[in-house]
Amino acid sequence: MTIVVGYVPTPEGEAALTQAIAEARKNNTKLLVINSSKGDALVDNRYAQEPEIQSIEDRLAIQGIDHVIKQPVRGHDAAAEVLDAAEENNADLIVIGLRRRTPVGKLIMGSVSQRILLEADCPVLAVKAG
Amino acid sequence: MSPLTTGLKGRAELGVALLLGAAGVLVFLDANGLVTPYSQSDPVGPKTVPYIVAGMLVVCAVLLAINVIRGGQGEAEGGEDVDLTHPADWKTILPLAGAFILNILLIDWAGWVISGTVLFWGSVLALGSRRYVRDGLISVALSLLTFYGFYLGLGIALPAGLLEGIL
Amino acid sequence: MDVWSSLMDGFATALTPMNFLYAVIGVLLGTAVGVLPGLGPAMTVALLLPVTYALEPTSAFIMFAGIYYGGMYGGSTTSILLNTPGESSSVVTAIEGNKMAKAGRAAQALATAAIGSFVAGTIGTALLAVFAPIVVEFAVSLGAPSYFAIMVLALLAVTAVLGNSRLRGFASLALGLAIGLVGMDSVTGQRRLTFGQPLLADGLDIVVVAVAIFAVGEALWVAAHLRRTPLHVIPVGRPWMGRKDWSRSWKPWLRGTAFGFPFGALPAGGAEIPTFLSYVTEKRLSKHPEEFGKGAIEGVAGPEAANNAAAAGTLTPMLALGLPTNATAAVMLAAFTSYGIQPGPQLFSSQGPLVWALIASLFIGNLLLLLINLPLAPLWAKLLQLPRPYLYAGILFFATLGAYSVNLQAFDLVLLLVLGALGFMMRRFGLPVLPLILGVILGPRIEGQLRKTLQLSAGDPVGLFSEPIAVVIYIIVGLILAWPLLFKLVRRNRPERKTLLPANSGAADYSD
Repeated sequence: MTIVVGYVPTPEGEAALTQAIAEARKNNTKLLVINSSKGDALVDNRYAQEPEIQSIEDRLAIQGIDHVIKQPVRGHDAAAEVLDAAEENNADLIVIGLRRRTPVGKLIMGSVSQRILLEADCPVLAVKAG
Repeated sequence: MSPLTTGLKGRAELGVALLLGAAGVLVFLDANGLVTPYSQSDPVGPKTVPYIVAGMLVVCAVLLAINVIRGGQGEAEGGEDVDLTHPADWKTILPLAGAFILNILLIDWAGWVISGTVLFWGSVLALGSRRYVRDGLISVALSLLTFYGFYLGLGIALPAGLLEGIL
Repeated sequence: MDVWSSLMDGFATALTPMNFLYAVIGVLLGTAVGVLPGLGPAMTVALLLPVTYALEPTSAFIMFAGIYYGGMYGGSTTSILLNTPGESSSVVTAIEGNKMAKAGRAAQALATAAIGSFVAGTIGTALLAVFAPIVVEFAVSLGAPSYFAIMVLALLAVTAVLGNSRLRGFASLALGLAIGLVGMDSVTGQRRLTFGQPLLADGLDIVVVAVAIFAVGEALWVAAHLRRTPLHVIPVGRPWMGRKDWSRSWKPWLRGTAFGFPFGALPAGGAEIPTFLSYVTEKRLSKHPEEFGKGAIEGVAGPEAANNAAAAGTLTPMLALGLPTNATAAVMLAAFTSYGIQPGPQLFSSQGPLVWALIASLFIGNLLLLLINLPLAPLWAKLLQLPRPYLYAGILFFATLGAYSVNLQAFDLVLLLVLGALGFMMRRFGLPVLPLILGVILGPRIEGQLRKTLQLSAGDPVGLFSEPIAVVIYIIVGLILAWPLLFKLVRRNRPERKTLLPANSGAADYSD
């Protein structure tokens, strides 16, 4: 039993993490936090830094959740990393945060969440920032 | 760092000393081959400075070799985007050099638009981008843009090569 | 020569719509390359050299001046927001600047850096306008022996003082001098180091050498060592300062300027020493010494002013004597030569309008940097998210294009690759690149002066010492060369200090 959550240091990512923690406690399952970067630019604000990871670590430990935090930087996009992790760990659930995006924005940028929704083999829970 | 890698690194730097020494000998031999016409107006002649430079190169080569053998080490240059904790990534460098050489071979025959596209596309791939189509389109656009930009804006006619007559 | 009226003429030239446009382009481009990793002003000017052949030299130099000052400004932005100083001169800025940014005072740090740069740049440029003609007046009275001595001093000082290892500096200088030898000897017409290759008879094009060393070598070097872990840029709004920040900043700005300009103008002063001195001074004079190390605004204001004043100072020997003391100045000097303009003390008389337009454009560029860049800071921070493959592929693409377009010969591209590999190797083994470039640029001129000097004395080496200035300079050269020896003696007498130095520090290299 594993829950995979795609984390980014934004309100959406926060919402996803909070929801994932709730799910993990309810079902008493293992939680796998994925925060990835393609690593192709000097700066990537979606890649969490040491203090943020530490605070998540503390938060999960206090709640007594069996967890693993992974930060892969392998040149793959976020959707691929989350899907890979879900497949490898036979996840029962993927939790992601959704951002409101205009149709034009989606056309240009593509959508990580859309790819996860379409390609995942397990249920996907998509939450919005409160 | 393991002692093996430091040992290898030390030896690699001896190559620099070797290169300096070889350059020194080359400059010396070349200067030896020059003729010095006796001339009141040029007592220094064309040989003096090459001899001095050759001497400098050889002395630097010897001192560097001694320095390296004694454990001295050049400090690799850092930078904003440079991470010196991992060794040189030849899997990036060699394809990059390959794209560069391909451009040299192609430029006069196939023309800048084609060779420039190959250069940019190849470099982007070597550097790890995997969006083949988008990168290809950007490469073609960049090459065309520079071709016409140089021709119309600067009056420099880059070779059209295979596309002669089309462009 | 009336400085004031010449300068006003300069402003008239620099403010024509076309030239003003080039100033704006230069400033924007300069800031962008200063912000972007892996790109610097020297590389940018080198890449643009071939493109600017179609322009008026005046317009080209106005743009270069903007790039030069803009690059300094952009460098401080990344030091503050990312703690990744791209150049050694902004290392000190990063110490306090990044701490300030982390404490939520990024806007104030950027503001004091920008305004301090403006103040220092403007005062520095004014000092340049005043001092350069004085230096020229003095310099035109000098003969070949003194020139020769001054050039030797400039080369040796840059080689011996900058960088960590003198030995590696001299190795680099020797390589540069050797590259400078290639081609036809100007006096006897004999071919040197051409190996029968007719394409080498005209020598190596300085554009090709500069682009190879600065652009190709750097791009390959960075590509081999790409940083894998992404960084966070500290979010920032529009830079601004409160009243208290102003009152804590203005004195450090002025003191930093006072440190920066003279050091920049010296043959090997550079920008690192004055920024460091400024930092230490501010720390000692500050009313809030406890804030140092935690984000003291004085520690950003002073060093930033110092490095911009040094940038202006560097242009003094460049314009007045034809002596470059940093990489960007070296490439700009190469640009003069490419335009067929002879650098040196005659520059002010032969190319007066150009020089004064250049100086005027420095004032304009400084003001533009302040006006354009304060509101643009958040945008510059976005630029850092540009994917690297495009950035470095772009450098190689434009390097190739530039080097090829000079002579339209594929052979130049072979040279570009070979010299680029040399640049890569030098970065790998800690050989500084600046002495090499100076050797290539100054080598042929030094040889010319040497031959002129000894021609006057009919081959007698005593001729080298025939002018008092020359003798004084040789004494200075001697002191610079003997300095490590003296330094060692001093240290030997105080052995307890030796242990303070880390075993592998640069100081260890002074022993050779």
